[in-house]
Amino acid sequence: MPPATPANDESHQLLLNQLDIAHVHKPYRNSHWRPSQRRNRNLKQIISESTRKEASVMATQANSGATTPFPGTSGTTTDGSQTPAEGTAKAPNLAQAAQSLSTLVLEKNARANLPSGPAVTYTNIESAPSLSAAHQRHYCDITGLSGPYTDPKTRLRYHDKEIFAVIRTLAQGVPEIYLEARGAHTVLK
Amino acid sequence: MTITSVQTVLSGRSAINANEKRVVKPQPEPYTISDFPFKGYQPPQPDGFEQSKAHPDTSAIVIDNGSSLVKAGWSFDQTPRFVFPPVMSRYRDRKLNRQCHFIGYDAYADATTRGQLRYAFDPGSSVVGNWDVMEGVLDYVFLKLGVDGANGGVDRPIVMTEPIANLAYPRIMMNEILFECYSAPSVSYGIDSLFAYRYNKGSDGLVVSSSHTSTHVIPVLGGKPLLSNCSRLNWGGLHNAEYLMKLMKLKYPTFPVRMTDNQMEELVRKHCYISQDYDRELNGYLDWTGLEDRDHVIQYPFTEHIVVEKSEEELARIAERKKESGRRLQEQAAKMRLEKLVKKEQELEYWKSIQEKLATETKKEIRRVLESEDLKDEAHLERMIRDLEKSIKRSRNKDLGIEETEEQPEEMSFPLLDIPDEQLDEAGLKEKRHQRLMKSNVEARARAKAEKEAEKARRDEEERLDREKRENHFEEWISERRVNRQSILQRIKDRDRMKADLGNRKSLASQMRMKTLANLAADGPKKRRRGGEDDDFGANDDDWGVYRTVATGDQSDEEEEEDLGGMLNSVEQELLEYDPEFTENHTLAAQSDWTKSLVHAFLRGPWPFDPESQREAHQIHLNVERIRVPEVVFKPSIAGVDQAGLIEIAADIVNQRFSGTQDRARLLKDVFLTGGNTLFKGFEDRFRNELRGYIPIDMEFNTRQATDPVLDAWKGAAQWVSGADWGRSSVTRQEYLEKGSEYIKEHDLGNATW
Repeated sequence: MPPATPANDESHQLLLNQLDIAHVHKPYRNSHWRPSQRRNRNLKQIISESTRKEASVMATQANSGATTPFPGTSGTTTDGSQTPAEGTAKAPNLAQAAQSLSTLVLEKNARANLPSGPAVTYTNIESAPSLSAAHQRHYCDITGLSGPYTDPKTRLRYHDKEIFAVIRTLAQGVPEIYLEARGAHTVLK
Repeated sequence: MTITSVQTVLSGRSAINANEKRVVKPQPEPYTISDFPFKGYQPPQPDGFEQSKAHPDTSAIVIDNGSSLVKAGWSFDQTPRFVFPPVMSRYRDRKLNRQCHFIGYDAYADATTRGQLRYAFDPGSSVVGNWDVMEGVLDYVFLKLGVDGANGGVDRPIVMTEPIANLAYPRIMMNEILFECYSAPSVSYGIDSLFAYRYNKGSDGLVVSSSHTSTHVIPVLGGKPLLSNCSRLNWGGLHNAEYLMKLMKLKYPTFPVRMTDNQMEELVRKHCYISQDYDRELNGYLDWTGLEDRDHVIQYPFTEHIVVEKSEEELARIAERKKESGRRLQEQAAKMRLEKLVKKEQELEYWKSIQEKLATETKKEIRRVLESEDLKDEAHLERMIRDLEKSIKRSRNKDLGIEETEEQPEEMSFPLLDIPDEQLDEAGLKEKRHQRLMKSNVEARARAKAEKEAEKARRDEEERLDREKRENHFEEWISERRVNRQSILQRIKDRDRMKADLGNRKSLASQMRMKTLANLAADGPKKRRRGGEDDDFGANDDDWGVYRTVATGDQSDEEEEEDLGGMLNSVEQELLEYDPEFTENHTLAAQSDWTKSLVHAFLRGPWPFDPESQREAHQIHLNVERIRVPEVVFKPSIAGVDQAGLIEIAADIVNQRFSGTQDRARLLKDVFLTGGNTLFKGFEDRFRNELRGYIPIDMEFNTRQATDPVLDAWKGAAQWVSGADWGRSSVTRQEYLEKGSEYIKEHDLGNATW
């Protein structure tokens, strides 16, 4: 970088001012928009959240419908043969309504999903591990050439004895980085 | 990776072509590397917004929200107006005391802004993770597109791309931002690769999209994507760059400059290509022939240390000064010599005068004078005078520059030794003792000389015998030499192994050493060496060798080391001279030469390396990496990704998930490649040739590449807006408020609701 001369500095500051959009008026933004402070989530958090949600939906599906042991909704109490007391009639009816609504939604969902098999989610479209033995070739960890040998001490694969000599001179911890590039390193939890 | 190519063991590679003469390669032409992708100020383009005022409902803002590049423009444009990376640099300037936001390429403006760089996408995925950055990016888009916000919002429909099977949370957040922060009238989402496929007029086929963060394979039949049968490989251009970065850091662990992600992306883009036959090409990659073409040298900026060259004049002056001081010293020395000489002469004169005086004196007087001068007798005085004369003569000669003629030592005679003691007086006895000493001295010298001569004669004799043997029994002689050479090589090897083993505490050698040390240190009678009652250590000279075995470090076997190298050299010299089969290339020195070293070829290409040169220290060499890095998408196991390769995925989708031959035929008739990661040279050929092996031979099979694998997704989205589908598929603000932020409408180019 060239040394910052005052003139250079000034023109650079002008450029920065021009590029900076923090102070530019943005009329298209809703001035009342206050986003949540904790809206940033990484992929892992999002996925674990969504799987939890899926699991809970599955659970509701399992004990949905008529089998729900809800006191007010059993067939005997609402089939009209008995006249319930005025005061208690309202609550079971509401509960029943809610119950059937959720059943309806679930049924609709099931119908939507059935023709196309299981739902498509971010996690289940991930491709499976390779089944073909042809793709399990070994390559030298140092050079990338074919690696027919494995050093029992570092578990590094290597091409020939010259590379092996190199492996033996590697500093502590370096072999682990090589293994990490191949995803074969030991993860301590 | 510190690679020191000290090698004594011959590799198979070099043994094969030991006779090959390696020609000097022409100097490489290094490739340069750019610093940062700063593009200068981008002025806003408000004309698009003016144009859109004519049809505000059908002129949509189209944003291809890619993780490598965000492309934004109007639906009536042919190409996106703004293309920039989704990054933001946000910080508070302490001097001006205000918040600063820099988006896209602007964030690379200077070191401060680069230091605060944040990515919108979660690293390594196509999912937005940092919504502050995403908002900044959208701000930038609307600002540059000239949105005036007259109604307090963006006021134009928005079309956006999203990843396949987008998760609920990112969609909710995006909807919230677009509807609530920017008050968009309507929003619709679609999948980028499907937009690209539509733009390239495809309706039945297999879409293979390898982009920045992931690689997807999507079957499309009758214009409808079969999302339940699509598949994702978690590898893309970003991972390529990351992988190359890892490899480079390991290859050059002491590289003096920081390598940046942008530079790695550039290297992958410019220098990598897809190998058509990976394994075959790989194994010949570091061969000497043609290596100069395969090895790409990347030159990083550097400053050469300039050795200050002294001018001719200065050099002359320095030499003059040196000479001058030398002369002065010489003069001083001459003066001192002169002084000494004068003193000696005076002394000589004095002694001579005494001698003269003594000649006339009585015996008693003589003794008195001699005693007062601290002399023993007259002979002593004479000797002194003789010595002084000699030394004066020598120094005179030296001053005058006369070459000293080596005086033959006069034959010493020892006459007194034969005379019995009884016949001698006291002075005589003294003299006799002196003569005896002298005699033994002379004899010893003579003996040493004779011994030397005998040794020389013995060596001559040995040489003669050797020569005779060579001449008469050549086979025997030469095989002896060869065996000798092998044994020296073996010893060198053993020594190196020993050294290496001693570095390792658990090795047998170290443990033996510790045992010996313990034995030596123990002094109780119980632990006597070898169980003997009587410690006779030292009786045998070999006993002391134990100290050599326990000593480590430099001082231990220095002399032996010299010895082995010298011995090998002399044997190899003889072999070179007489053995017809032994050539220069067979010597150890030639075989451990850098041109034979695989590691050298890997690190420095086919050129010598000068560790002093800053220019070469700032170079990186790309060779195997050029095919190793882009190969990962075909063989993810190389980089430790536990997924099937692209070909296997595509073959699996076609062969396993579609049972009808008709469907399969429709898919294979049009295999469509898109995404920035398919831009590698040879990608399409490799894909076609390899997939061909998995499908029935009589099936029609075509591949094609998107006309512009990077921008076609945006163009497809812009084109889609003019169609009837778009109106049906966009969610209005009203619908958002009623049905919630998760609500989307299904259409042929987008995701399905769960």
